[in-house]
Amino acid sequence: MIRALDFSNHALFWYYLVSNLAYLGMLIIALRTSALHQRHLQSHQLGWLKQTPMTPPITIIVPAHNEEASIRVSIHNLLELDYPELEVIVVNDGSEDGTLEELREEFRLRLVRAVYVPEVKSAPVRGLYRSDAVPKLLVVDKEAGGNKADAINAGLNAATSPYVCVVDADSVLERDALLRIMVPVLADPKRVVAVGGIIRVLNGSEIEKGQLGRVRLPRKSIEVIQVIEYLRAFLIGREAWAQGNMLMIISGAFGLFRTDLVRAVGGYRSRSVGEDLDLVARLHRHLRENGTDYTIGFVPDPMCWTEVPSDLKSLGTQRARWQKGLLDVLWPNRDMLFRPRYGRIGWFALPYLWLFELFAPVVEVAGIATIGLALCLGVLSRGFCLQFLIFGYAFATVISIGSVLQEEITYKRYNDWRDVVRLVSYCFFEHFPYRQMHMVWRLQGVWQYLRGDHEWRAIKRKGLVSA
Amino acid sequence: MGSVFKKLWRLGPAAFVLKAIVAALVADALLLGFIFARRAYRKSYFRKRDARVFELRQIWEALISGQIPHERWRKKPFDRRIVESIALDEFEGAGPEQSRRLLRFLRSSGLIEKLVHEARRLHGWRRMRALVALGRTRAPEGIPALTEALRDRHLEIRLAALRGLGRTASPQAGEEILSWVGETGLTVPALPLQAALIQCCAERPRLLLPLVQHAEGPLREVIGRVLGEVATPSLGLDLLQFVGDEREELRAAAARLAPQGDPKLAFEVLSELAEDSVWFVRLRAVVSLGKLADSKTIPTLLKGLTDSHRLVRLRAAEGLVGRNAEIAPIFQRVAETRDRYGLHAYLTALENANLRGKLEAELEAGANMTLKEKDWLQEVLRAGTFPAEEPVRMEPVPSTAGSQP
Repeated sequence: MIRALDFSNHALFWYYLVSNLAYLGMLIIALRTSALHQRHLQSHQLGWLKQTPMTPPITIIVPAHNEEASIRVSIHNLLELDYPELEVIVVNDGSEDGTLEELREEFRLRLVRAVYVPEVKSAPVRGLYRSDAVPKLLVVDKEAGGNKADAINAGLNAATSPYVCVVDADSVLERDALLRIMVPVLADPKRVVAVGGIIRVLNGSEIEKGQLGRVRLPRKSIEVIQVIEYLRAFLIGREAWAQGNMLMIISGAFGLFRTDLVRAVGGYRSRSVGEDLDLVARLHRHLRENGTDYTIGFVPDPMCWTEVPSDLKSLGTQRARWQKGLLDVLWPNRDMLFRPRYGRIGWFALPYLWLFELFAPVVEVAGIATIGLALCLGVLSRGFCLQFLIFGYAFATVISIGSVLQEEITYKRYNDWRDVVRLVSYCFFEHFPYRQMHMVWRLQGVWQYLRGDHEWRAIKRKGLVSA
Repeated sequence: MGSVFKKLWRLGPAAFVLKAIVAALVADALLLGFIFARRAYRKSYFRKRDARVFELRQIWEALISGQIPHERWRKKPFDRRIVESIALDEFEGAGPEQSRRLLRFLRSSGLIEKLVHEARRLHGWRRMRALVALGRTRAPEGIPALTEALRDRHLEIRLAALRGLGRTASPQAGEEILSWVGETGLTVPALPLQAALIQCCAERPRLLLPLVQHAEGPLREVIGRVLGEVATPSLGLDLLQFVGDEREELRAAAARLAPQGDPKLAFEVLSELAEDSVWFVRLRAVVSLGKLADSKTIPTLLKGLTDSHRLVRLRAAEGLVGRNAEIAPIFQRVAETRDRYGLHAYLTALENANLRGKLEAELEAGANMTLKEKDWLQEVLRAGTFPAEEPVRMEPVPSTAGSQP
């Protein structure tokens, strides 16, 4: 028993140390990369991209399921994006509310018999609509497929551009987001097959006529903590992984892909829970198996602002779903682990996801139990345990404040002093009890998946009008 | 066996953890201090800068006309940076007269020399910034410095130089780019090179011909694509030599350009290219055929409607819909193809052009068709697909141009 506890404590110590050192390494890489990116941007004149006939067309796909509260604002925002060749496809995924009616009314839609070749699987399409007011808008009305992947596939079938950009219907893009996300593609169109942009928290900010107005920090604590989480995940995690061409996820709320490749891998997997992670994993697999020289990039400045859950129940549902999605992708791709043909994806990216993302809640719960037991049995010194906890806490705040620093020195969207003070103070408060709740939600996700519950549960939203 | 942690404790890990705590807390404090100090500094800097920008804007005309001696602001780096940035921004929206004025000002104040110097002597991102700024001025004296930077070993510098040269939009810059690319090959990604060449060779597309004729491999394709984009009718005959080229990009370029030349020749060339084995050559040919206002193109466009590639079908349909004077006879011939995808493409193009009502009216009038044919066509139009039962056998309807395939 004592030996088992000893071993467990030992393992935990190293697990925690390696995970934190990995994050510290990522923070350093991300800080350096962001600084370089900012400097490189000075040599880019985004306006010039618009003037060249070589800028490739993009189709934006917007899956919408019961989005009547947001859809008008969201689509107006997309139609006003600064990009020369744009097509916007809204997929009404069997909405039971007035999503389609809202669109019909706002954009004067008329039913058309457009070409719809179901190259990738999706639920049956009921009709296609074109707008009399905006020629570049197409609405695909389809039966509910039960998940977002199915809706995106329908959009993919109707897309006519060489690049598709998937955007959530409850998100708002900054006006030049598409120009910015295309910068890596235009620099190297043969190698760059997909690019992810950054997702920021919209709650609390103002929207004026479909465009993001004044950026403010949300009022509720649970939302502010998510701001820090998003900063950490995007400005540190994804930025660093992308440097090694090991980016495993491009957020479903905003990502750009080469259309032919997405079609080549069969589109989004209809039954997947984490469709964004799943697609990127399959792209890596497909490209590596074919020996293609490719890059999946991340650009931290094309910003997409999205509404995050503002109550614990919705947040718990979302996080459980993310964890289910992770397991849903990692398990079928387990054969990629440590196989030379999958290179760094098999040797680093996937093992990291298994070890430090999927197992993290299990290890944390087990850790709390064994440390408690070890303390009771006197196997572990209380002084040392306390010191280690304090160290863990202080170290975690370094990473969180580091992500705020990243935001400060690069994009600096929170201009109000009070917002920054609040943001920084939450870096100290997010660890108790939020982190523990997060752990429980993630465990729930794993448990639901193991029980065979693969349902894609929707979460409650307020809509962009009230954001 | 005692606890590992006990052993660590004895060996001193507790001291290590204690140090780590201190280090983490110090790091927290430093990060926070940096964030707030930086905010405070930037606030004060931008307040000062905004005030100064406002002051300089008030006297801008006097500044650029030289009424205010340049020495008054040139020796102050803070002012000089502001003046430079205002001047460069003004270039973006300036007309020819204003550009000349601004350029005169940059020359007389020595800012151009400063930029040229920086573009030659600085390194890294500072050089990149200078190169782009030099391009923004469109000053001919910047071209040699930009050309030198094309030979830099860093890709980012080469790209910045290329963008700068492209921005000058001058044939001289185009010659420099072509000479460099002919000498070193394709050492930058294709798109920025093409974008720069399109800007620089728009006035004199003939500059591209020698390189297209002599280059090999992917470079030839890249330049061919530029040629297709900038070529003018005067190049018509020169381009025809690429119709049978082994490089598909060049065949596509020829297809893109064909409508600019003699229509009769264009029709022949495009009909040939519409049969190409590469889809985007066919696509280009079909798009160009759509631009020719000649009924002879209809059979080829109808064939494009049954193409295996979706985009070719769509563009062929758009070309057919463009002939809206012959809408009912064309629809009849589309229906005769019995190709469901082709029919969908045609109906999509028809809907997009908002011409469905016109077709319905023409079918209702039923000129040049029997009642049975009319009913069948109306049913095809209504259902958007072919009825399941055996169709009516149609009598060929004389085309307005008499151009049955």
